[in-house]
Amino acid sequence: MLNFTPEERKVALFVLSLGLAGLILNSLAKLNCRISGIVYPQIQLARLNINQVTLAELTRTKCVPEKLAQRIIEYRNLQHEFVSLDELKEVKGVGRKRFEKLKEIFFIE
Amino acid sequence: MKRLLTGLAVCYGLGIILNGFFRLNFWLILGAAIAVLVWAGLVFRNKYLSLILILFLALLSGCLNLANSARLSKCHIRNFMIYKNNPVYRVSGFIASMPELKNGQQWFTLQTQEVQADKLKYNCCGKLLIKMDFEQALNYGDNLTLTGSLKRLPGFNSSSRSYRDFLARKGIYLIMPVKDSRQIILRSGASGSALIRNCFRLRVYLEQIISRYLPPLPASILSAMVLGQKRNLPRLVNENMVKSGTVHILVVSGFNVGIVAFIADLLLKILRLRRKLRFILTASCLLVYCLVTGATNPVIRATVMGIIFLSAYFLKRDPDIYNSLMAAALFILAFDPLQLFDIGFQLSFISVLAIVYFYPKFEALICLKNCRIKVLKFIIAGCLVSFSAWLGTVLIIALNFRIIAPVTVLANMIIVPLATLITLCGFTLVLSGLLYPDLAYFFSQPTSVLINLLLNINQALVKLPLAYIYF
Repeated sequence: MLNFTPEERKVALFVLSLGLAGLILNSLAKLNCRISGIVYPQIQLARLNINQVTLAELTRTKCVPEKLAQRIIEYRNLQHEFVSLDELKEVKGVGRKRFEKLKEIFFIE
Repeated sequence: MKRLLTGLAVCYGLGIILNGFFRLNFWLILGAAIAVLVWAGLVFRNKYLSLILILFLALLSGCLNLANSARLSKCHIRNFMIYKNNPVYRVSGFIASMPELKNGQQWFTLQTQEVQADKLKYNCCGKLLIKMDFEQALNYGDNLTLTGSLKRLPGFNSSSRSYRDFLARKGIYLIMPVKDSRQIILRSGASGSALIRNCFRLRVYLEQIISRYLPPLPASILSAMVLGQKRNLPRLVNENMVKSGTVHILVVSGFNVGIVAFIADLLLKILRLRRKLRFILTASCLLVYCLVTGATNPVIRATVMGIIFLSAYFLKRDPDIYNSLMAAALFILAFDPLQLFDIGFQLSFISVLAIVYFYPKFEALICLKNCRIKVLKFIIAGCLVSFSAWLGTVLIIALNFRIIAPVTVLANMIIVPLATLITLCGFTLVLSGLLYPDLAYFFSQPTSVLINLLLNINQALVKLPLAYIYF
């Protein structure tokens, strides 16, 4: 029964070490809540904070056209900080389709 | 000729390129092909002349296949389009792709079977792109009757990489916008392939397993890496990967197919099955995985190559990497010669070809085999593989995406080993989710940590000065 091939031993070792790492992380998370910041990726890695993003950062992403990026920043500076992403609809040039796309790019903290 | 298959594939590809530029007449090429075939038959005993004629025949076959694919069937839905008065059509058929939700709209392709315009019904064929402004529970193979207007596809840009050309290569020329649920009638029964339908069901189930154990962001990345599903992938993550030249890790490729083959073989070995039966079952697993991931070019390439390597055992011949790669190219191009002009096809094959060709040369140049420190050898080998792939693809990427990323080699050196580990963790997570869900929770946390690390490293690399240049 214990006549494992080298490949089988490698797989068993990998699975066991993965399980062990999971157990360690799980118990660490119980001890310290901050550990979840290491375990789970922060939203900043996938989206831009609409109230903090600069024009340069926004134009660097190919997701927002340059003119629209300018209008979004102008809106934020002239009006007020965005409270909800729905306010993007008030920016000139943002229709239903564009709004659906922009929703995926920004977040509000 | 040592690599006849390679020669045949190169000539076949040249034929496609030749006809792509000169648009030769189908019947003219057919006449020439028959003449060459007869001539090759007559001089069969002359080794060199017959070889030249066979290669020439492969070239003509490429021309012929492209010319044939450009000719649409008389019953193609595109031929029923009336440009005057924008009439309302009633089209029946079945869903030929997995419906996808993008920007609040549902998209899928419909394999048409019947079209009705001006109270006249016709049998038809060909694919139609459907854009629905609302969400409805639909699946591959569902029989539908849609009512609405047919429109030509928008071009979006005037370059050679327009959206219209991209879809035309897939045989889609028309779009039907559906704005109201009353325009759609779901008929009973299901059409299409039962195998594909079940593979899509399996994909949905596997996606559910991933999203059950991971938060949305890591789940979207793992779905892309393990199942080839990028629809939930955040745009910024994808864009950052493009900028660092590591977007290929988000595509199912030969490595994933290799893991599937390894897992299947290992499980079957544990069951102590015979070697031949094991190979047949492993090949079947590869085919199912290919269908589950949507049968994209890199997966088809890797699957065909994997099956050739497995079948080399039955044929009692040593597998040749160039021949197996070219067999995969021939397999794809025989079905669809227009794939040769697809950027995904070009990158997939050229990157592998560059690694196979350049890597041994670089390895010999720096005498890597003499290196005695294993870790250093592993790091240098990884660096050389990344550099070989980059060298092969840099021109195509620069011409098509207008980006040069000097950070690519460094990024690949760090990110590829990490992505390899994530893929292995991902497969372990999915398998444990299938077999023993309680255990999957423990596997999910290290996977999430690794994904977090990958995203942070990638973001840091992209922020380096001169990491990438758009021109």
